[in-house]
Amino acid sequence: MPYDPHPNHEGFLNSVGSPIQHRFNPHTDNGGTTLAIAGKDFCLVAGDTRQSEGYSINTRYAPKVHELSNGSVLATSGMYADSVNLVLNIETRLEWYKHKHNKTMSATASAQMLMTVLYQKRFFPYYVFNILGGVDEKGEGCVFSYDPVGCYRRETYQAHGSSAALIQPFLDNQCGAKHQNIKEELLTLDQAMKITKDAFASATERDIYTGDYLEIFVIKKSGVTKHKFDLKKD
Amino acid sequence: MFLTRSEYDRGVNTFSPEGRLFQVEYALEAIKLGSTTVGIQSSHGVVLAVEKRVTSTLMEASSVEKLVQIDKHLGCAMSGLVADARTMIDHARIEAQNHWFTYDENVKVESVTQSICELALRFGESADGGEAKMSRPFGIALLIAGVDENGPQLYVFSETYNLNRFFYHKVSCRSVSIEGFFLGTYTQYDAKAIGSGSEGAQTELQEQYHKSLTLKEAQSLALKVLKQVMEEKLNVSNVQVATVTVQDGFRILNEAELAETVNSLA
Amino acid sequence: MSIMSYNGGAIVAMKGKNCVAIASDRRFGVQALTLTHDFQKVFEINDKIYIGLGGLATDVQTLSETFRYRVNMYNLKEEREIQPKTFAHLVSSTLYEKRFGPYYCEPVIAGLEKDGSPFICSTDLIGCTTFPNDFVVTGTAEQQLYGMCESLWEPNLEPEDLFEIISQALLNAVDRDAVSGWGAIVHVITEDKVITRTLRGRMD
Repeated sequence: MPYDPHPNHEGFLNSVGSPIQHRFNPHTDNGGTTLAIAGKDFCLVAGDTRQSEGYSINTRYAPKVHELSNGSVLATSGMYADSVNLVLNIETRLEWYKHKHNKTMSATASAQMLMTVLYQKRFFPYYVFNILGGVDEKGEGCVFSYDPVGCYRRETYQAHGSSAALIQPFLDNQCGAKHQNIKEELLTLDQAMKITKDAFASATERDIYTGDYLEIFVIKKSGVTKHKFDLKKD
Repeated sequence: MFLTRSEYDRGVNTFSPEGRLFQVEYALEAIKLGSTTVGIQSSHGVVLAVEKRVTSTLMEASSVEKLVQIDKHLGCAMSGLVADARTMIDHARIEAQNHWFTYDENVKVESVTQSICELALRFGESADGGEAKMSRPFGIALLIAGVDENGPQLYVFSETYNLNRFFYHKVSCRSVSIEGFFLGTYTQYDAKAIGSGSEGAQTELQEQYHKSLTLKEAQSLALKVLKQVMEEKLNVSNVQVATVTVQDGFRILNEAELAETVNSLA
Repeated sequence: MSIMSYNGGAIVAMKGKNCVAIASDRRFGVQALTLTHDFQKVFEINDKIYIGLGGLATDVQTLSETFRYRVNMYNLKEEREIQPKTFAHLVSSTLYEKRFGPYYCEPVIAGLEKDGSPFICSTDLIGCTTFPNDFVVTGTAEQQLYGMCESLWEPNLEPEDLFEIISQALLNAVDRDAVSGWGAIVHVITEDKVITRTLRGRMD
């Protein structure tokens, strides 16, 4: 035991005499990447399925893209436990809305509601970066992107999560036609699928938190279809 | 009649042996004293018309407010104890704004009517989970008009509406979607009159109403019906008319527009 | 705020077919404040080797002078042009000299070897080298550049295609980084010439 110039029997001071801070930090980042692209009459929402904590992989299959009961799809990245609770919370509210108003909630209404749900926890947030994808009242694809406390915007494409910085400029280029001398147009489903698969394959190469499997949800007026692909597992 | 009610009409929380709540039925009497109010739904919009009782020549007629806006797409006409209505209107306005804030869409006419009905039941002693808003039943009936994704709609709310006993056989009722509740009920109508002249007015509506009314025709019909049951001679200062349409939402007719309709009656 | 991102910047080098390209943004700023948009971060060593220096601007300039001095000394002593691989080791040892008080600078090197094959290299701030087969990136837009390059790059690009790919990668990457951008400069090194083009990007 080294010499302690400030013997401390109370437990309030550490060995050099400064106060010990006891701080509870309940938020963790479980990594993973999500992405959504809006089309003319569809919306594509995708996410990888790896769940990590630090340098360890908890599981290779923990889906973070959730199909909601109103036909929208919610992609969550950040803290997994919070995202599970958030989805439960949202699902409850969707059900209540159905009973109260005798209709299913529209994508735009659920987008606004998600904002209020997130902002209600402004000072102890759900540590989740959300992307909500769906088809709006006009039958057009819509993507809503959120920060953890509910600031949201409608976008035509968006990437979130550990590979957001890698994928977002790629989407700017390929979906937003940035730095190309062509007019920005909404993608076809085939184009969107191809870009999504490329984006995740690339992100998996460089981001240790992204990989294992890729789940793509395609939302159309007629319903939601789910596709699953392999990603590298190293 | 009153003999049988003795002792059982003192509180709002005691049924009579015949299963009646007298205080609630008395509230209905209060509504019957209210000024006549007419609502007509057409496929182009809903019309609300009220009689304003201008009891003195010194009274500023424009200060009598019986048509109020709840939201851009929602309005309401009242009959009965107008003061009681304020609580309900406030509640409805908050409900509408909350819905808009939470869901970024207009609240449905039926939903806002439902929420008014829920408030209407919160009288008497407070029970678990709900705070009592009033010590007695609300002595008010409301015509709630609005437009939503289901088109123009007219709802009637009354604290003490016993459909079967008082109104059911008289109305031109298209659909009695929810009926038979004694307290705080609402019903959808094509055309409905409430207040002191409601019986005569409803009979008239029954005869005159048809599905293909235009908004203008609905306005004329509403005023015509009012004219027949009003004690005073109908003029621009003792009636008020509002419309709710998809284009303009809730709008109270200005004096010129009202005069035009009134003159067209003669 | 890390000292590596005090001035901002983005540099990328890519291999092509018998050619190599190196590109950088041109912004000079202090944290969020942009001061000029003609700042040099890529330096010619000879007509076959270019070096891009990303990181703290003062060290960028100091190091570029140091490398010029050392390459000149090499040329005088050896009486021959320095080869890319040799230059990479010169860079590495120069940085490692300051192991415990480093230059806050991460260089990337692009060059053509004697046999005309492309050469790229990057090091960390104390001189640990890597020699990948595809591309190297450095700067505050590193992540964005990795995402772009990983998606756009393919083997055996001809000089003009390589120019297009590296330009698209850089321009789109810096637009998602607040402290990089304000135009770009691209050098494509081929056997017989170096093609240099300055690009106008989003100037905001």
